Amino acid sequence: MSQYVCARIIRMDEVDIAHFEYDRNNPLYFFLMNADEQIYTRYGGRDSAAVDSYLNLDSLELALQKGLDLHEQWKQGKLKAAPRPAPKFAREYPLLVERTFAKNQCVECHLIGDFQNIHRQLDGSLDKKKHLWRSPDFKLIGITLDIPKGLVVKEATGPAAEAGLLAGDLIRGWNGTTVWTFGDAQYAYDMVDRNARQVKVRVERAGTEKELTIALPIRWWLTDVRWRQSSVDPRVYFDDRPLTDDEKRQHGLPAESFASLVRRVADMAKLMKTHELAVGDIIVAVDGVDRDPDVHTAELYLRLRKKPGDTVELDVLRNGQRIKLPLRTLQMSFRK
Amino acid sequence: MHPLLRALPALAALALSLPAQDAEGIHWHSNYQEALKEAKATGKPIFLEYRCEP
Repeated sequence: MSQYVCARIIRMDEVDIAHFEYDRNNPLYFFLMNADEQIYTRYGGRDSAAVDSYLNLDSLELALQKGLDLHEQWKQGKLKAAPRPAPKFAREYPLLVERTFAKNQCVECHLIGDFQNIHRQLDGSLDKKKHLWRSPDFKLIGITLDIPKGLVVKEATGPAAEAGLLAGDLIRGWNGTTVWTFGDAQYAYDMVDRNARQVKVRVERAGTEKELTIALPIRWWLTDVRWRQSSVDPRVYFDDRPLTDDEKRQHGLPAESFASLVRRVADMAKLMKTHELAVGDIIVAVDGVDRDPDVHTAELYLRLRKKPGDTVELDVLRNGQRIKLPLRTLQMSFRK
Repeated sequence: MHPLLRALPALAALALSLPAQDAEGIHWHSNYQEALKEAKATGKPIFLEYRCEP
């Protein structure tokens, strides 16, 4: 660390958030860079399970060493300057200003992410698959990393194994971007078009480089986002699971429908009188819609296609009867 | 107003811009521009941390 100038920034007021762009729900995130603001590599990243799933002192040490190597290359003119996006600052989001600057409150990282999404929702540019479901999970495509070793693959299964990825491979490129750390790789994965059906991955194996093509399964971007406490995520207060093909046949429902079985109803639903769903109900349609190419459950349909505060009509199978139930979604409010 | 009270805002701003030192002896800048200046002067790379207010 003594070979670095260290800076710790806890207020985002003056930060160029376009240059230092990352998933703002990381409470801790690092950039290794130089005095010309060229970013060499990132350190950080997380999954839905925990903030520190991928944070580790050994991998941090690897990242720090890589940062020094890249800095040496920069000084020798061996690295090309990366293009910098047009600057953007938190104060350019009027609702965020009202919520923080105007009240002299901290402009927290997660508030920036959320208010960017609120403004996108207002101007119609919100793409929830990209802006809300950030930081796709490598495990969903069968990649388990040996976390202390950075981007060394510990186990490859599913789509990753089918593409030829092996335990021991060192990931060096993701979707055309060179990656040195998990933070780099997760950010590069986050930048992949959500409609993409494959991703190119470059690996080092026994001293040689290989390029593999991993076929992305449907909903490869889908993670549990409930912990994000995002204002653009409608709160629905129930959990469900997709019906199996057999169950759909049994109930005379189309195979492509997103019919789902209610597994849990949150107490908040009763408290806030948002719906009267019960465990065991089968939701077969939302506002008359029963299928969507991105969706496999009614809950996901509501989260993806509805705005917080929307009221919808559910078609529900209960005790063999088809009934209609209203459901009101709610908007998340913040702790401060 | 007591002169010290009048100086408080300036002192606070100064404290925020000075590097803090942690248990490992690492100096942490809280001012990004100051970190850039030091990196320019020393030729060192920068380790920049963004974190939620503790």
